[in-house]
Amino acid sequence: MIAPSLRHFFPAKWDGVGDTYSIAQHVSHVIAFIETLDLGPVDLMGHSRGGHICFRVAQQRPDLLRRLVLAEPGGELDASLDPDYVGGPSPLLARFTASAAKIAAGDVDGGLAVFVDTLEGAGTWPRLPAMVKQNLRDNAYTLIGQVRDNRPPFSKADAESIKMPTLFILGARTKGLLPKVLHALAAHVPYSKTAIIPNATHPMFEQAPQKYSEVVLDFLAS
Amino acid sequence: MQSFPVNGYDMAYLEIGEGRPLVCVHGTLGDFRTWYSVLGPLSKNHRVISVSLRHFFPEHWDAIGDDYKMAQHVADTIAFIEQVEPGPVDLMGHSRGGHIAFRVAQTRPDLLRKLVLAEPGGDLDASLPLPEGTPAYPPLAAKTIRSVEMIRAGDIEGALQNFYEGIEGDGSWRRVPAAAKQQLRDNTPTLLGQINEQRRPYTLADAQAIRTPTLLIGGGATTGSLSLMWRVLAEHIKGAQTAVIPNAGHWMFEQAPQEFGDVVSRFLAE
Repeated sequence: MIAPSLRHFFPAKWDGVGDTYSIAQHVSHVIAFIETLDLGPVDLMGHSRGGHICFRVAQQRPDLLRRLVLAEPGGELDASLDPDYVGGPSPLLARFTASAAKIAAGDVDGGLAVFVDTLEGAGTWPRLPAMVKQNLRDNAYTLIGQVRDNRPPFSKADAESIKMPTLFILGARTKGLLPKVLHALAAHVPYSKTAIIPNATHPMFEQAPQKYSEVVLDFLAS
Repeated sequence: MQSFPVNGYDMAYLEIGEGRPLVCVHGTLGDFRTWYSVLGPLSKNHRVISVSLRHFFPEHWDAIGDDYKMAQHVADTIAFIEQVEPGPVDLMGHSRGGHIAFRVAQTRPDLLRKLVLAEPGGDLDASLPLPEGTPAYPPLAAKTIRSVEMIRAGDIEGALQNFYEGIEGDGSWRRVPAAAKQQLRDNTPTLLGQINEQRRPYTLADAQAIRTPTLLIGGGATTGSLSLMWRVLAEHIKGAQTAVIPNAGHWMFEQAPQEFGDVVSRFLAE
């Protein structure tokens, strides 16, 4: 099991300055990382924004991958996947931009509260275990890069171009855009299935590590 | 994760950050992930080296063999530190790992610059009496034996709950984050070794033998024998400093990572 930290994430201590944080950049790094491993086709798993990255790796370099696991991939849907598409930036972007502004101004916990509550519902941040909060805190400055990143939305053609066996994993209690994106992609990725983790939300592997691992191991062994 | 051979065992560790080496030793049912919550705060100023002792995760131990002993883990930690450059290092231990760190400081003070003991585990012998009026607590060893019976009967979850609530009190297990539970679960087989680990109690002479500058840290909400032991040891370790992390229990660095990191960094910077 190989768990890399992407550019600018912990253990790096990035200050949020510069244009070196983007989906395109991280996708090219993951591709180069897998090439450097030189292990032949690997299984690739990504969570949230990492799921977006893994999706793009699978699109660009199917030759590097055996199987793909996407745990609530992050991103937006274009008109080909979303009948309610209205264009413009993600509805979440304004909230994330407010979060990044607080972090840049030195209010790290305040910024993270906005970020977490946007994804998981109002009042979530104070209830998070301290160890989970600290992990987010150690990476808070990456949010400043993230809101500058203008990532393209997913399209139907993108989904149809994923050729390897793909497992989507959903937390049964996740609300909002993430389940919508997951279901839209899963409907159009040809060799895909979807597993649901009961009683879990977006960080479903932290909340239900045994169930999550079972689901992934079953898929990789099938 | 990296590893190198120590006394014939391939010992795994994480190494993060730059600066003076700070070697961290986990306790019962822990492993190098015990310190996850404070890797961020502590690696700002230190080269944090978090080890997994013999038979803990990432090994999936079958609990066969008789080399899960306190003395073996102390010898392994010494042999590990001997290979860390540049020495002497700062050494931090939690719970049973605090016991190990204490024994390392007693045996090989030449290897250490400073010592941090977060609620070290063990027992006090008659030369280290508890303060007058202290209630008697049942020894944790009895809880461990009960947990082992439960593991042998296949009730892993019950065994972990019994062990954890023996330290943090009834009803505490259900409040533990699932990620922290899973880490303990991954080390369940080590409890089978621990019931015959041959740990000796602390003596007054042991405490007086510690010459390394020492910080003892307790959680303000910890109850039972673990909340007493470090206070008694602190009375007899020459020049020992103490710190209490408010509103935190035995796993105080998971519950208050920033406060714990601040206390440790301040002590190491002095």
